[in-house]
Amino acid sequence: MESELAKLLLFTVGGLANAAYLFIVAAGLSLVFGALRVINMAHGSLYMIAAFVTVVIANQLGAGLGFWAGLLVAVAVTGAIGAVIEVLVLRRVYGREHLVQLLGTYAVSLVVAGAVRIVFGANYRTVASPIPGNIYVGTYSYADYSLFMIAAAIVIAAGVWAMLYRTNLGRNIRAAVSDPDLLNATGVNVTRLYTTVFVIGAALAGLGGSIVAPSQAIASSIDTDVLVLAFAISVIGGLGSIVGSAVGSLIVGLVVSFGILIPATSPYSLAFVFIIMAAVLIIRPRGLFGLPEN
Amino acid sequence: MNLVPRIVRPRFWLGLVMAATMIVAACGSQPSGNQAVTFKGTKKVGYSAPLTGQSALYGHAVSQALNLAADDINAKGGVNGYKIEMDIQDDGTTVPQAVTNTKSMILQDNVVALMGSVTSAQCLAESPIAKQNKIITIDATCNSWQLTMESDVVSPYWVSIVPNTYMEGTAAGRLAASLNVSKIFIVSPKYLFGISETNAFVAALKKANPSVQIVNDPSTWYVPFPTNPRWDSTINAIQADKPDLVYSNIFAADQINFVKQALAVDPQFFVKYPMTTLVSVDELNTLGSQYPLGMHAYMRAPFFALQNNNPRLTDFITRYRAKYNGEYPSDWAVMDYDAFTLWAQAANTAKSFDADQVVKQISGHSFDSLRGYKITIRPNELQANVGETVGTTASSSTYPFPVLKDSVNLKGDDLMMPLQMVNEIKGDQCDKTAGQPNTANFALCPSWKAS
Repeated sequence: MESELAKLLLFTVGGLANAAYLFIVAAGLSLVFGALRVINMAHGSLYMIAAFVTVVIANQLGAGLGFWAGLLVAVAVTGAIGAVIEVLVLRRVYGREHLVQLLGTYAVSLVVAGAVRIVFGANYRTVASPIPGNIYVGTYSYADYSLFMIAAAIVIAAGVWAMLYRTNLGRNIRAAVSDPDLLNATGVNVTRLYTTVFVIGAALAGLGGSIVAPSQAIASSIDTDVLVLAFAISVIGGLGSIVGSAVGSLIVGLVVSFGILIPATSPYSLAFVFIIMAAVLIIRPRGLFGLPEN
Repeated sequence: MNLVPRIVRPRFWLGLVMAATMIVAACGSQPSGNQAVTFKGTKKVGYSAPLTGQSALYGHAVSQALNLAADDINAKGGVNGYKIEMDIQDDGTTVPQAVTNTKSMILQDNVVALMGSVTSAQCLAESPIAKQNKIITIDATCNSWQLTMESDVVSPYWVSIVPNTYMEGTAAGRLAASLNVSKIFIVSPKYLFGISETNAFVAALKKANPSVQIVNDPSTWYVPFPTNPRWDSTINAIQADKPDLVYSNIFAADQINFVKQALAVDPQFFVKYPMTTLVSVDELNTLGSQYPLGMHAYMRAPFFALQNNNPRLTDFITRYRAKYNGEYPSDWAVMDYDAFTLWAQAANTAKSFDADQVVKQISGHSFDSLRGYKITIRPNELQANVGETVGTTASSSTYPFPVLKDSVNLKGDDLMMPLQMVNEIKGDQCDKTAGQPNTANFALCPSWKAS
């Protein structure tokens, strides 16, 4: 019995680590859609740039201090790139149909992918973990870095929620979602507010790329690897809802983790994610926590 | 003092730069060597490459090797008097793009030959297109035995110079059996290659050691390909099952992610759960000192294990590194260089680019290779008797990545599928469902059962 409980904990923590990874990536995507109503196909590109920046700096300065320095620089760089994308591309597609926005941000992602290949080359890059330890609970071992990722996801979720519901900036963002013209009439510079939101979304993508970098091979394709599952999570949880993204990530992470444990479901563990997504789209198209579009 | 009016200066400099560029380009187009070679024209050889996606690492290495081979071939006069130019198109490690590339290279670019793509799923889709258009394909990376034997797939223009999944799985199975372990955990990518190679591994393992137990249910052997970059579930399952050995043929980004995440869970992970796995120089080089030592690896063409008394390979390594910023050539680079030079030699001998004529000069013939020995193409299934290298990863004082200690270069002839079995598969005698060749399994062949 103790062994079964230990196994349950093992797979639960594995599922939570997977969920944390996915949430960290999906949070910025969801924030941008929620506030700006833009489906940002370049989100994965910003995540990828941050991962490369982190790896390069960490490998130059050493995995410990270098990683944290790399994380700060990566967040700043992706935030700055986000500002450029918002000013040059997004301002021209706000209010247009989603297809135009998709194509605009997809074009950005292609440009970034090409630029990353030129700058960083085709070889995979790796960086040692800044938190290399592990702990034992019973007979099973857990990576400290996975626990850090889970904690980071919780902090990010709480931070974004607090920003949206406990700050003036968040109040303005929510007001802009409801009625940007009225907000503008009150003296708030909505154009600048949109830029700020996108910069925060881009910085969140950067934070995700930095945090994920020590746990996997960094290559010029990690942008698309993650985008599919990030969108699945956003659809399940509800595009634009941070709480929805968190719940969606938990569902996906745990379904994949426990799916492989049971032989009968193992071959379909990843398929279940998309079955759930399809079911949500049929039953509740706006997602579990999403709000209907006006 | 300004000699030129300021407004004219940009044009002057632009003109100067363009002139310099043209001079440099003109110099660069001269064939290398002491004498200029005059060509009748240019012919293209196509390669649908994973320059992005899961196997980008391999596509990068192969592309570099093919370009180097093209330079070498052209320096010796090209093929049939024509300069050979590589036509490399990115497929993102996806099947649909590989198909699009293959059609485009054949129908628009008029390639005279193709080099096989990286994954068996891609090659399975490309083969009928190449066959229909009568374009020879020399395959040095994708390696499912079905590509050269299964009657609904087989093409008379498909030549394999890579150890196929039967050969590789057999080598891995014998290696695992020699380790005297009793409990094995299997993890493999869920597509033709993984399934084909894992079947061969299990068959060879059970033959050599019938008492060995595979601890995870067959339904859990395979992971989606390409997969989620997180490997928590598989790592947890290994911890839960506590095997004596993990067998894997996951590769490229998947293997790197798996190794990194397993080591994060427990730095002693691969000591507690030793692993028999497919490896290439690319994975070793990427992880460098992070790559676990003591892994029971099987490799297709590691340069460091084939280098002894092999001046041809040594020269290749030197020139490859000089041309590509000191990079070491991976197994894929070694094999694809061989593939290209083999085709060029055969086409020159045939004095033709016609696929039938070139295949005649390949089937049953022997060729020099970077491996240090001649490889012979068996006519029955156009498969080369190339070997596999097995050994245990150990740190190296020569290279910035681990190499194999006590490595053994297994002979291809000892690994190849028995001829009788090849003929039984080609004759649809090994189908799980009669009349459906895509259900063929060599373990169902009469001669395998009898053995």
